Amino acid sequence: MSAAPARLEANGLIKRYGGLVAVKDISFKVAAGEILGLIGPNGSGKSTVMKSIIGVERPDGGSVRVDGTDVAGWPSHKIARLGVGMVFQHSRPLHRQTVLENIILALLPDRLLRLLPDPAIEERARAIAARVGLSAVLHRRPATLPFADLRRIEVAKALARDPRVVLVDEPFAGLTARETAAFVRLIAELRDDGRAILLVDHNVKSVAALADRVFAMYVGERIAEGSVEEVMRDETVRRVYLGGGIETAARPEAGFRDASVPFLQADRVNVFYGKAQALEDVSIHVHEGEFVSIVGLNGAGKTTLFNAISGLLPYDGEIRRQGQSLRGRTPAAIARGGLVQSPEGRELFTDMTVRENLDMGGQRLVKAARAERLEWLFDLFPILKERQSQAAGTLSGGEQQMLAIARALMMKPDLLILDEPTLGLAPVILAQISKALERLRQTTSLTVILGEQNVTFALPHADRVYVLEHGRIVWEGEPSRFAAEAGAAYL
Amino acid sequence: MLLRILRSPAIWIALIVVIIAATLPLYVSGYVLGLLTIAYYFGVFSMAWDLLFGFANEVNFGPTFLIGLGAYTAGILDNLYQPPIWVCVLAGTSAAVVGGVILALPALRLRGPYFGLTTLVAVLMLQNFVVVAAGLTGGEIGLTVPDVLSIDDKVNYWIALGFMAISGAALYGLSRSPVGLILQASGQDPVQAAALGFNVTKHKLAAFIVSAFFSGLAGALMVFYLGAASVGTFIDVTVGVQVIIGAVIGGRRTILGAAIGAIFLIAMGETLRPLGDLATFIVSAMALVVVLLFPSGFVGMIARRREAT
Amino acid sequence: MLLWQILIDGFAISSLYALGATGFTLIFGVSGVLNLSHGSLMVAAAVAAWALGASFGGSYVGAIFGALVALLLSVVTYFLVVRPLQQTKRIREEEKEIFILTATLLWGIMIQEAIAYLFTNNAKTVLPIVGGVVTIAGVRTPANEIFTAAICWLAIGALWLLVNRTQVGKTVLAASMNPRGVTLLGVELSIVYIAVWAIYGILAGIAGVLLGMFLGVSSYSAGPLTASAFSIVVLGGLGSVSGSLIAAYVVGYLETLTAYLASPAYRTIPALLLLVVVMYIRPRGLLGRR
Repeated sequence: MSAAPARLEANGLIKRYGGLVAVKDISFKVAAGEILGLIGPNGSGKSTVMKSIIGVERPDGGSVRVDGTDVAGWPSHKIARLGVGMVFQHSRPLHRQTVLENIILALLPDRLLRLLPDPAIEERARAIAARVGLSAVLHRRPATLPFADLRRIEVAKALARDPRVVLVDEPFAGLTARETAAFVRLIAELRDDGRAILLVDHNVKSVAALADRVFAMYVGERIAEGSVEEVMRDETVRRVYLGGGIETAARPEAGFRDASVPFLQADRVNVFYGKAQALEDVSIHVHEGEFVSIVGLNGAGKTTLFNAISGLLPYDGEIRRQGQSLRGRTPAAIARGGLVQSPEGRELFTDMTVRENLDMGGQRLVKAARAERLEWLFDLFPILKERQSQAAGTLSGGEQQMLAIARALMMKPDLLILDEPTLGLAPVILAQISKALERLRQTTSLTVILGEQNVTFALPHADRVYVLEHGRIVWEGEPSRFAAEAGAAYL
Repeated sequence: MLLRILRSPAIWIALIVVIIAATLPLYVSGYVLGLLTIAYYFGVFSMAWDLLFGFANEVNFGPTFLIGLGAYTAGILDNLYQPPIWVCVLAGTSAAVVGGVILALPALRLRGPYFGLTTLVAVLMLQNFVVVAAGLTGGEIGLTVPDVLSIDDKVNYWIALGFMAISGAALYGLSRSPVGLILQASGQDPVQAAALGFNVTKHKLAAFIVSAFFSGLAGALMVFYLGAASVGTFIDVTVGVQVIIGAVIGGRRTILGAAIGAIFLIAMGETLRPLGDLATFIVSAMALVVVLLFPSGFVGMIARRREAT
Repeated sequence: MLLWQILIDGFAISSLYALGATGFTLIFGVSGVLNLSHGSLMVAAAVAAWALGASFGGSYVGAIFGALVALLLSVVTYFLVVRPLQQTKRIREEEKEIFILTATLLWGIMIQEAIAYLFTNNAKTVLPIVGGVVTIAGVRTPANEIFTAAICWLAIGALWLLVNRTQVGKTVLAASMNPRGVTLLGVELSIVYIAVWAIYGILAGIAGVLLGMFLGVSSYSAGPLTASAFSIVVLGGLGSVSGSLIAAYVVGYLETLTAYLASPAYRTIPALLLLVVVMYIRPRGLLGRR
């Protein structure tokens, strides 16, 4: 820990959203010329901390000091003027303006009467552009630029006011290895200028190259703090990210009947969101009755893959069900055909009761079949039976998740896709859901694809595991070998 | 900066068009001049609307609230006290600006459709007020004013053309200036704009005031051209609709396009008048086609083609 | 005496407003569209009923024809005007709303002008289905008025049953809460939207025909009808059907009271003032969600 005074200091930060405490008593310091890596999985609260610092959110308690001044609760533009710059995760340039104009904007003072352009400002803009490597494209518009240049514009904008504190949100997502190296150099230079830098990302690996220190969060709380090595070795961090010491119960792949034509086959699937490539040559296969876990951090591409399978977005490549291509079928048709998804956002009908939500799922069934199915699900998730007449929006997070899964099961699917069911849930609920999944696996021949970043949850039920990272499949194998082979890359 | 202006082809084209337009009175009938005079005032209405919509991203469903305030204040003042025209015009413009501020302050806090709704309600209020306070405003029949700018068609035409050209230059210049850049950012991405240190509300309010200024001024001047004011010419929602549609089909975010769109609408409407009720039908149908198939509008399409290169 | 007259007249007019507003809110809630051609739709239905009634005699047939015309027009509005804009990639998402508003407005004007051209813009009254006069609490009321209120409530009641008691209706309701959720459960959203616009068309059609019988319409009525539906829905809260119902009665009675106690010329003013106050204090409306 450096002896330099803290440029950025958070003390006892608290933020609540309704009944949920997103950030619980978070405190840290970042000195001038230091990079602090703030890491945590989705739902850990790191984004909320960041938003509280730049003024997009108002903390419910605690303070945020920039060079001693408490800015907690200040409007965003005032905090920016004080010297806090932010490089957003998603590039948001002004599309109708050139690169130069985008940077000039960041340099303009907040005055109404500026009617004539200032040559001094233009000079500074050019200097900043040169620094980040944009000199060649100053007169082009963002739509014509490659992805990495769009990210450079974001850095340039953040630099414009010569900030004392810079927040950087997931800087390397979507960049190639070479581009990443260039950005690492760029950020290191910013640090060497004497600025305090808060680098926010998902795991230690992403910030390892740059961070002087790391602060790890989970479910709103601090779980570890220290150097990169210290945090990587920390027990709690390893447990949260890697699982460690989990019992697996995989069935060998050869045992599944449809070896030659797997039930579901995705071949070299590519998906682009505008410029950014969300999935790159992803190929997976799932056998009938198999339980496959796809493990990956947030932003790795799990949801994108699932949405491609469900027909919700366009893709290149082939996705086949029992040999027949799914391309060209509407998402509703794919769902009716037995490929059902319980999505990340749950997508419940919040003003309808639990029972009505379930009935919506079972609307295609005959009355008797529906009643039977309902009984089975109430047996699987007893809490839902108890709360049948309650509005779905009033249920707790765990209950909502169970309802989402139950509703999907009402459709009598052949293949069930579960996208991040454990997001934001307490361990007790996780155990309940885990048990239900266990029963499903043992008593039915349901094929399941589980997408998870929580390895503790993903491994025990899986027959096979894929690891998805930055849109690519980087590992495939048995769950028992995961910790040994894939763990290092994952943390 | 001056160099940049001179290099922009849009400016040269606009300049040439204005010069040609200025020569029209030499060979065109008084009827056409009268039509174009009204069209030019509408051009300013639409340009002022585009500043707010195209740049600040705020949809004003009741531009006629501001226009009507300007027109009626000027007209009523003239009726009551007969001060010099410029005093009335000044009063009208000020009334529009004040009205704009009163409208903008609460409206800017609202999100989504509510802002638009508030502006629409303002128009309905003004309309009802005018009808009810008939003693002062002439009610549904309308108001006549004793003074006019000029009785000569040609002079009126030149005044309108000159006014439109100057307003256009001012609004266009504003849109291209640094302040215009900030306004665009505030409209396109308010969170980003705030993170860059800009007080978004302040800038949008300023845009509102500028829009109100030009709308009120144009409205007040138009009263002294027509020599009369009525709900049907200045306040009615259909007038507002014309202003909006003119700006949209001309091409939002181009300022100059708004003027072209407005002039097109008026000219079209007049040309097709012999067809009676079918005229409005055809104009609306044309405008609908533009909205559905060419959402960038006339000028917008040209601008986009240039940007893609 | 006067009190009863106000109560009865107010009830009839409010019921009519309620029916129109319910349809308007339904479309906003499910399709996300503020349909500015709403008034034209109602007028089209009324004029169709009038035209058929005049040629073929028999008000029942005319009324049903009117409702069907509105149904057809409504579905056409969806396919021709709304859907292309909702699905286009050439307009940014945030700007689609204003384009759809402008487009429905233009479409409404087109319908209005077409009616004026084909049938002149004179006021027309549709032959009432129920004639005669009824005396309630000492007030002589045209039976038509009672009929109007009754049909309105029947229609609203049918809608309520549809939405709350049938699977089709619940799917529509679910789609208004979460379109993606509905797709994931295997329901084609496009079919849901067509169904909603069709239902909306019928509701607007019935309201239009009843209005034609009660007060008469002309092509000029289109604008004010849209404006009043709009104000009621905003007052009640965008997206809340119960809010619209309550607001319809508030506005209906305010208008009737003003017309009787002050002057018919001022009838729209108190409602407008109320709307202004609500906009300032509680822009969400009485029961609004969004």
